[in-house]
Amino acid sequence: MSDESRSAAEAERVELVRLTSDRRKDLVQKFSALASLIALIAAFGVTANAFFTVNNAMTVSLQTTSIAFLGIGVTVVIITGGIDLSVGAVLALAGTIAALLVKQGWPVPGAMVTGVLVGTLCGLLNGIVVTRLKLAPFIATLGMMLIARGTALQLTGAAPVSQLGAEFGVLGNGSLFRTLEMGANGLPRVVFPGIPYPVLLMVALAFVVAFVLGSLPIGRHIYAVGSNEEAARLSGIDVETTKMFAYGLSGTMAGITGIVLMSRLVTAQPNEGIMYELDAIAASVIGGASLMGGVGTISGTMIGAFVIGILRNGLNMNGVSSFIQQIIIGCVVIGTVYIDYLRNRR
Amino acid sequence: MPGTAPLVEMKNIYKQFGGVHAVENVSIDLHPGEIVGVLGHNGAGKSCLMRILSGAMARTSGEIYVDGNKVDIATPIEARHLGIETIYQTLALADHLDAPANLFLGRELKTRYGTLDKKRMESEARKVLQRLNPNFRNITDSVRNMSGGQRQVIAIARAIYFNARILIMDEPVAALGPSETAMVADLMRHLRDEGIGIFLISHDMHDVFDLCDRVMVMKNGINVGMHPIDEVSRDDVLSLIILSKLPDDWQPRNQNGKAP
Repeated sequence: MSDESRSAAEAERVELVRLTSDRRKDLVQKFSALASLIALIAAFGVTANAFFTVNNAMTVSLQTTSIAFLGIGVTVVIITGGIDLSVGAVLALAGTIAALLVKQGWPVPGAMVTGVLVGTLCGLLNGIVVTRLKLAPFIATLGMMLIARGTALQLTGAAPVSQLGAEFGVLGNGSLFRTLEMGANGLPRVVFPGIPYPVLLMVALAFVVAFVLGSLPIGRHIYAVGSNEEAARLSGIDVETTKMFAYGLSGTMAGITGIVLMSRLVTAQPNEGIMYELDAIAASVIGGASLMGGVGTISGTMIGAFVIGILRNGLNMNGVSSFIQQIIIGCVVIGTVYIDYLRNRR
Repeated sequence: MPGTAPLVEMKNIYKQFGGVHAVENVSIDLHPGEIVGVLGHNGAGKSCLMRILSGAMARTSGEIYVDGNKVDIATPIEARHLGIETIYQTLALADHLDAPANLFLGRELKTRYGTLDKKRMESEARKVLQRLNPNFRNITDSVRNMSGGQRQVIAIARAIYFNARILIMDEPVAALGPSETAMVADLMRHLRDEGIGIFLISHDMHDVFDLCDRVMVMKNGINVGMHPIDEVSRDDVLSLIILSKLPDDWQPRNQNGKAP
């Protein structure tokens, strides 16, 4: 090989390494989260007998939906460089309002849609406080957290709203492709537990929001605002509208979470969802989102949500107390963010 | 280019921050096919004046005319619609996005379904970036992993891709090496020959005398002198920048036959 062609080959190789370095980093992050997810599944599969069953898979998925719904919304806000602490309280307000409306004699679908819209409204109010009053997102959404929780408690007198009727429970408890078989003893036997509606909704919403972030101009603007707000503004991006969209979406997701959660319980609890915002933020961060903004994906957040969900489920099956669970999840959050830090250190 | 109508006229521009006058009664014009240098110390008000023209900053008072029509320019978008493109000193790049995303930031190419046309944006970006720098291949890396020169090239490409008629360049070669600087200078001459008007903010006397047709010097927000380039020497310009006046015995250099 002549010197010339060798140096050309060398240059090409260097170029190739440089080209792939960025994508590789993303892969490492995704992989580290995904690998810990697989490791968890393997570990619990060995330690808990009932872990590897279709039934349990559906249970875990169902339990993960709340974190996932909230995480999807919060991730969008985090990508803009903000934070949304209000989602746990907003979900309680949305759920209780839907339940109270049903009590007033509203049809269930109308009441549920209204509940979701209450969530959207709370999100938009967050957006107004952030963009018009120019307050830090932490403060704005902390305020909304107290306002929404207080409103939910005030409206219900701090008592659960129950006796909502079977129709209210369909969204949370129904499932698709549930197959029963008549047993020899005349009692039905469950062949396949079915895919719970909340799980289907989670998958659908994850795809929709991932599409919005990845393939629509508004998604690109969300990343740009989080990456360099001044540059976004100078490029002619409407930064205020972009942020309003993010907070509105997060509020809507919180509203959906509230409806699904209250429907699962067929009872509206004004105290539901306390600390859920932190689970959502943890899921987002485990999935690779950066609280500095500009970074984050829905696929990562889904992995993060399942890491938390499976950790809870598996630890429960192994009889680990919920106090210890908190400690472990805390360690996982710190560990994954440290990996993220290592990844970005240059 | 005397004889042609001015592309831009800024008349009696004022900008106040509280009690501080950042720009005070400055008027400037720019003709097609002309490069006007805007010089002065840091904080002299030159960036401020240019940010007013690019819609990034609102003026306190004064009037702006483009093609003889009075215009408002309240936002960067309005400036763009008038054909005014700006290369900011900070480059104004979104670090986490790749080169095509930055190039088309705020005016993304869309498919007929309204989704981002990533393929077309990438191929267009590849074309325009490789015209500026043939070695620029890793355009789909996020720009924070790129060299200063590459980042600068993206910022320049973003301004020229959209057929600017008026270009504001704030220290466009500050981060560049010698060969890239020469490339940008060639590009500026080429754009000038196409009839584009350019405002150049620079600290580099060499660039200014090499490229500009006229220079304006600002000090403390005031225009202290606007001269055709062949009328002044480098020392004259330095005197304007530092002392805000020409040497006492100054006469237009081109009239007594001395080359600058």
